[in-house]
Amino acid sequence: MSHQPPAPLPLFDRNLLCIVERVVPFAEREEWSRAWRAEFWHMHHRSRSHRIQTLSVVTDLSIGLIWDALWLRTDSWRRTLSGTATLCISSLLGLSLLSTLIALVLTGGWHSLSPYLSDHFNLSLLAAPLVVFVAFATASRRHIEQGSTNNRLYWIKRQLFFAVKISQVLLLAFLLSADLCQPIHTALPNTADFLQVLCFVIFALVGLRWALRDQEQRCKQCVQSLATPMRVGRPSHNLLEWNGTELNCKQGHGLLSVPEMETSWCQSSQWVDLDPSWEQAASV
Amino acid sequence: MNTPRLSHSAALILKALSLGYCFGLDVMEVTGLPSGTVYPALRRLERDELVESRWEPEEEATAKQRPARRYYEVTREGKTAALAATQRYPLLAHLVPEKRS
Repeated sequence: MSHQPPAPLPLFDRNLLCIVERVVPFAEREEWSRAWRAEFWHMHHRSRSHRIQTLSVVTDLSIGLIWDALWLRTDSWRRTLSGTATLCISSLLGLSLLSTLIALVLTGGWHSLSPYLSDHFNLSLLAAPLVVFVAFATASRRHIEQGSTNNRLYWIKRQLFFAVKISQVLLLAFLLSADLCQPIHTALPNTADFLQVLCFVIFALVGLRWALRDQEQRCKQCVQSLATPMRVGRPSHNLLEWNGTELNCKQGHGLLSVPEMETSWCQSSQWVDLDPSWEQAASV
Repeated sequence: MNTPRLSHSAALILKALSLGYCFGLDVMEVTGLPSGTVYPALRRLERDELVESRWEPEEEATAKQRPARRYYEVTREGKTAALAATQRYPLLAHLVPEKRS
């Protein structure tokens, strides 16, 4: 018996597949295309046998095809960007833009918003160093011992990211406080001014505490968020041996050991650089 | 192990798969869900290791003069999740009929 190849798809389906497959990440493109060609082929042949209108099914399946390709693309972005410094900074920037847009909508335009923001910006600028000082002084930040290498470049990278993150948090706190207090500024100017500073201080303190905590739980080399927290030891062993949590870098650069309780022999968290062979293991 | 909490659509799709509907198009037809819901949900279920996908053997498809299809099977974790979902949404059991072989 001779096996003939399956009949080709209609022109519309082929063109749609060719266009949408560009959205799919390259590594998954071939398999995606193969799966969808088969789905379309079966849909056409099943519809013919069931004698139902194919147009609505083709439309529905085309929507599914587009959603599937978009899901693969966003999932690939999620996997690539999850926990990175870029995502952190761009999320903060996006929130700042959103707050500016809300302020623009509330005031009715840039002409009325601009003088309001410039008046209050100076006041917030005065409060900012104080807030930063209080946040640093009161943070329950544990000293982190660097296990082995102390590369200067990594240190600069970390501090640069931290500085940008803190600036973004302060800007966001200012914009959010403006969003909240601007609507009542016309009716109660003094109360609004006082509330604006109060809101800024509260938002900035909360934001800075988050920024400090986030910074602690990032890789000391690639500045990505540490993942897979794992409990090690038992609380009953606290005075005898190690008891705490270990967090790993997804790239395999190192691990952070955070003791559950501060003891005289283990007061600080410890960052341990891993052997380069771990990076290969992590990439697999 | 914690059983993942599934949305109603995901639970319905998992139920259909556990009853023997193993292709995307079959699942769409039996659940009545649009393809824009079914296919991304299948991807999420696969990512969460509740289902696994395989390719139909090429020889089998070629013999029937049709392209090989990708089919989905419920994993052991998926079966547990489907059971938990049926307890959470009791009507699921009546929404999807068992596949006749």
